[in-house]
Amino acid sequence: MVKLDRINLSNEGLTKFFSPIEAQIMEVLWTNEESATPEITAKTGIPLSSVAGTLDRLVKAGFATRKVDKKGQRVRYLYSAAESMDNTANTITKKVMDSLVDTFGKVAIENFHTYQNKK
Amino acid sequence: MFSITEEIECYIACITDSSLLPLMGMNIFLALLLFTVYLKAKSSVFRIFSFIAAQLSMVFAIGMVASAMQCSQMLTIEIYTAYVLASSAIILLLPCVYYKALIKRYRARPITEVMDWPQHFVNILSKKAEVYYYDSAVPRAFASGKAVFLSMGMLELMDESELKAILAHEVWHIRHNNKTPILRQLSIMTFTRNRSEDELELLADIFAGEVVSKDAVESARAKLN
Repeated sequence: MVKLDRINLSNEGLTKFFSPIEAQIMEVLWTNEESATPEITAKTGIPLSSVAGTLDRLVKAGFATRKVDKKGQRVRYLYSAAESMDNTANTITKKVMDSLVDTFGKVAIENFHTYQNKK
Repeated sequence: MFSITEEIECYIACITDSSLLPLMGMNIFLALLLFTVYLKAKSSVFRIFSFIAAQLSMVFAIGMVASAMQCSQMLTIEIYTAYVLASSAIILLLPCVYYKALIKRYRARPITEVMDWPQHFVNILSKKAEVYYYDSAVPRAFASGKAVFLSMGMLELMDESELKAILAHEVWHIRHNNKTPILRQLSIMTFTRNRSEDELELLADIFAGEVVSKDAVESARAKLN
């Protein structure tokens, strides 16, 4: 799962929480039910040499899951996102909020209320 | 009657009285320093030479200890014999068990669990080799002991003829036992000919080209580069 020390608030979009390659791969996985490796490389435009290691890391971190698909005498991986984008966003937000409340207590909670009222 | 405490006392007495004591200390210190360099060094040539130099320093230190001994006890020889027996056993047994450690480390499974033909193909080339696959998208193949390891990434990337070329390449390494690091080090330590990594890869490719086809080898290499 997302590690707080990897969060970089100065980055844009999903790269705040993932590396640029991880973010591109996750976007493919969130928009497709199941994807094989060649589909991921085609849709992201990232070479296999970079995609393969990143896929291993995403699976290990629990963001993606994969299963072995046997077709005759050939085998391939089929990847899917472990959770929907909304659920992942939920997990990340909770982690960030927990961390802020742990550090700043009341001030953080008051700011959340102010933010909610503004919205 | 053998008494280890008497032997150690004799040892301490002979060595502390010896004029060679500073030299012995320097040699042992040098050996430890060289062993540390061996463990830390990144270049394989540097590692091998620091290892040989450390071993030579230890042999000199043991020789000086033996010459300093005035008593009849032969603890030096006994310790040295035990050291030689233990290190020889490790050197000879390690290649036989190293691939088993790799199977555990990579959580490798027999390839027959996902496809049969690679094991049948390898059986034709080598009776003793076993093919394993492991869970990783990174295309990789290697051989150790009597096992060939293929990642799932390699299985999904290559077509049948390319995979055969890769298997033949790895079987060549198994047949020549030259992927076992300790054996390669020994060939240098015993001043026998040792080929470079590039030469070995080329020879394995030539064999794979003869067994499968040159095109398959080139196509597999192109996919990996």
